[in-house]
Amino acid sequence: MSVPKHIVRLLALIAVVAVVVFSVKKFLVPDSFYQYGHYRGNAVAEIASKAPKLQGSASCQSCHKEAYAVWTSGIHRKATKDNKVQGVVVKYGPGCEVCHTGPAGNHPSKEPMPLSVEDRVTSITHLEHKVHPANVPGRNLMLDPESMRGVCLNCHDKLEARPVVQRQVAVDSHSGKELCTTCHNPHSPRIDNFAALPRPAVDPNTGKAISAVEKFKTGDASAGKSAAAVCAACHGNAGVSVNPIWPNLAGQHAVYLTNALKAFKSGARKNDMMSGIAAGLSEADISNVAAYFAKASCRVTGGDKAKIEAGKTKAAAAGCAACHNAGGLRGTGAAGISASPAWPNLAGQNADYLASALKSFKDDSRNHAVMSSVAKSLSDSDIDNLSAYYASVSCK
Amino acid sequence: MTTLDENAKQEASGMTRRGFLGFLGKSAACVGAIAGASSTIGATELVHGKRGFQQNDEQFAEAVNNPPKVPDYNWNDHEWAMGVDTDRCIGCLRCMEACKMENSVQMDAFHFRTWVERYVYLEGSNTAVVDSQSDPKNIENAGSETKFRFDNRYRNVKVDKAFFVPKLCNQCEHPSCVQVCPTGATFKANDGPVLIDTTYCIGCQYCVQACPYGARTFNESRGTVDKCNWCYHRITKGLNPACVEVCPTGTRIFGDRKDPESPISLFIRNNHVQVLKPEMGNAPNVFYKGTDKEVV
Repeated sequence: MSVPKHIVRLLALIAVVAVVVFSVKKFLVPDSFYQYGHYRGNAVAEIASKAPKLQGSASCQSCHKEAYAVWTSGIHRKATKDNKVQGVVVKYGPGCEVCHTGPAGNHPSKEPMPLSVEDRVTSITHLEHKVHPANVPGRNLMLDPESMRGVCLNCHDKLEARPVVQRQVAVDSHSGKELCTTCHNPHSPRIDNFAALPRPAVDPNTGKAISAVEKFKTGDASAGKSAAAVCAACHGNAGVSVNPIWPNLAGQHAVYLTNALKAFKSGARKNDMMSGIAAGLSEADISNVAAYFAKASCRVTGGDKAKIEAGKTKAAAAGCAACHNAGGLRGTGAAGISASPAWPNLAGQNADYLASALKSFKDDSRNHAVMSSVAKSLSDSDIDNLSAYYASVSCK
Repeated sequence: MTTLDENAKQEASGMTRRGFLGFLGKSAACVGAIAGASSTIGATELVHGKRGFQQNDEQFAEAVNNPPKVPDYNWNDHEWAMGVDTDRCIGCLRCMEACKMENSVQMDAFHFRTWVERYVYLEGSNTAVVDSQSDPKNIENAGSETKFRFDNRYRNVKVDKAFFVPKLCNQCEHPSCVQVCPTGATFKANDGPVLIDTTYCIGCQYCVQACPYGARTFNESRGTVDKCNWCYHRITKGLNPACVEVCPTGTRIFGDRKDPESPISLFIRNNHVQVLKPEMGNAPNVFYKGTDKEVV
């Protein structure tokens, strides 16, 4: 029995189509396609080969030593580093890339590291290490005030759904329109302890932080007494100055005195007399002298009555109490006694010295992140009144 | 009486219709049992590794003996999982932003690999009001679609209970999305994550429909589907996924279940954890602590 011709042709056609289809499939489907399943096996290694962009806080340390040191010592650090848990919620703490959005993997690159939400780099930049220009014309890397607050409020705005252990503020009653960074250092925001200076002193020329924040060790007051002999000519034997234009040191915070002497020594703060004297003091001398004057008993020199009343009103309006009040921001306390030992007590100070200090902040001969801006908002009569007020409050 | 005649004929040939069907059923059961037994035996012969989703014996052997060429990494040694401790979440959405940075996800509120939901029980209510970063009021509060922040809309109302729940792909043991993909563009890796081979994705979005958790989005500019892969490029290099790396409160816990001392093993062992929509049978690998029944 012979197969009809049209059937033979049909079978031949089917065979040809089958051969074509299978060879095309063989050609198009990559070898690895069914290797591990119904997918391209090579895809796994391809996906895994992408370069990570977030680099972790440790990668910031090599260039940004000062900021890293401040962050490490404060509450905003990953507490797991030394197995210390800071609170119920803040177990790990935000790393650099939480607030400085824009992953470090994009940096350093052609573009500078975005410090702000608005300047973030959204495009993919691969890990090429290019030296970025120190000064980028037309680019302001700092945030506008509203966005800057937004960075803090991402986590600290008071919301119903947030766990109560998370530190939260109702902004309107907490600070109004004031910037968070006026009182808090974002790298180490807690202001009750020494570790949280508002900001480390910054050299106006280089823009770099001068004083590394370190654990404060109280000096030896008795050893300080002999070293303090050189101070006595101006600041008096017991820390009460012979001329009201010079500051009283008696009863001042030791931490503040230490920082001030170190700033004179490093050149961050300049004074014809003090720069030379501080340069001759060793680190140990500085902490001993500071401890000695901190223990000395303070004396209120007082001021003009009318000015005192006006100064009291102005002090409340200018917000001096936020820092220069024993209760700090969160409560009331003795006026003129600072909340942090890193900030100076104003009580027991000479009115003339206080006025000259404020004026030097105002005319930029002295610089401080907070005080420079505060002093510029004060008129000359405000300065006189405030100085008189703080020179009259009790220093005990 | 043709039927009677046929019955008589079948009886004569030794097989009734009922008998034939019965035989068919029994033989099918036997074949199935043999096949099942042989495949079980095949699996036990291999020492370590976990059979991938829809992976046959040969492919499983290949996965164990010839794993993908990722430097210093063998997918047979790991079984990744994530934990979410909702008691800790503060809804800062840093995870979402870091994820977008790390994985070049579109910078708007509607495309994301991970996101956060806010559940609020108003006073006297038994059901939760839910919103997320893509809620218009939250976008308005953040000031732009490229910033992500929850607004303070419940400031002046009485709230019984409220909490945040971070969500992401559950990297299921039985992923519906993989089952429906027509091109093999999405698949479950042997170490856990469900990955997308974007060169094979044709953008049909069948997987977007199939996912019971809404974890997939479509990237219109690339024409492919996008999903969380636990930052596969990071975890294969010993790093945490981006969201875990930036979470300031330790809400997200990540690790290897094959390591009994890894954070995730400890989290699952020491807490009462649950998965989302267990009734779907997807067997998720993201374990939640502290969520309500309302959270799905």
